[in-house]
Amino acid sequence: MDSITTAASVVAAGLAVGLGAIGPGIGQGSAAQGAVEGIARQPEAEGKIRGTLLLSFAFMESLTIYGLVVALVLLFANPFAG
Amino acid sequence: MASETVENCSSHNPLLDIDSSDPSSTVNSDEYLELQFRVFRLAFLLTFFSVGIAGFFWGLKASASLLVGALSGIFYFRLLARGVGRLGTSSKIVGKVQLLVPVLLVLVSSRFPQLDLIPALLGFLLYKPALIIQFLSMP
Repeated sequence: MDSITTAASVVAAGLAVGLGAIGPGIGQGSAAQGAVEGIARQPEAEGKIRGTLLLSFAFMESLTIYGLVVALVLLFANPFAG
Repeated sequence: MASETVENCSSHNPLLDIDSSDPSSTVNSDEYLELQFRVFRLAFLLTFFSVGIAGFFWGLKASASLLVGALSGIFYFRLLARGVGRLGTSSKIVGKVQLLVPVLLVLVSSRFPQLDLIPALLGFLLYKPALIIQFLSMP
């Protein structure tokens, strides 16, 4: 792999993880805030709130995982490496 | 001072009085556990069918990679569920330990020639159909 491809892959991996984590990070923070407030107001609905939070987290975090996987593929199994 | 404020708030506001001996809290935690078990059951079922189909059409290597990925996905979901279960009780944030699972999966499948990367990643994402089915079947 030549040096330009290596440098571009490393920069792209950093961008993929960094940019890909911004949105889910904000979303998870706001969802957790809402869930904890909801549990504090309605402790009897804790199970339902936690369940919905778990499903939402799983869907949100998968966006981070996509960026992570792209970055790891670029770093460890680069398809552009000659 | 802060603890006094919290005690005052909880003594005046009945909504914030969370009694740990309250039987409804056990019911709620049972409900959460039941949801997790339903998702795990669906994920294992999907894994079983997908591994069988992959083994029939693409061979043993793809099937083994899919199985490893699917088990990693279920383990990831278990860690995420544990983090969400702790939120608000023993922890104020949801941990990010579960993100190590896909990292390790990609590293292992790129290092070991017995595993393929693409089937492993597809297997890892098998927990998502289980989640979608569960989400759609929620009342």
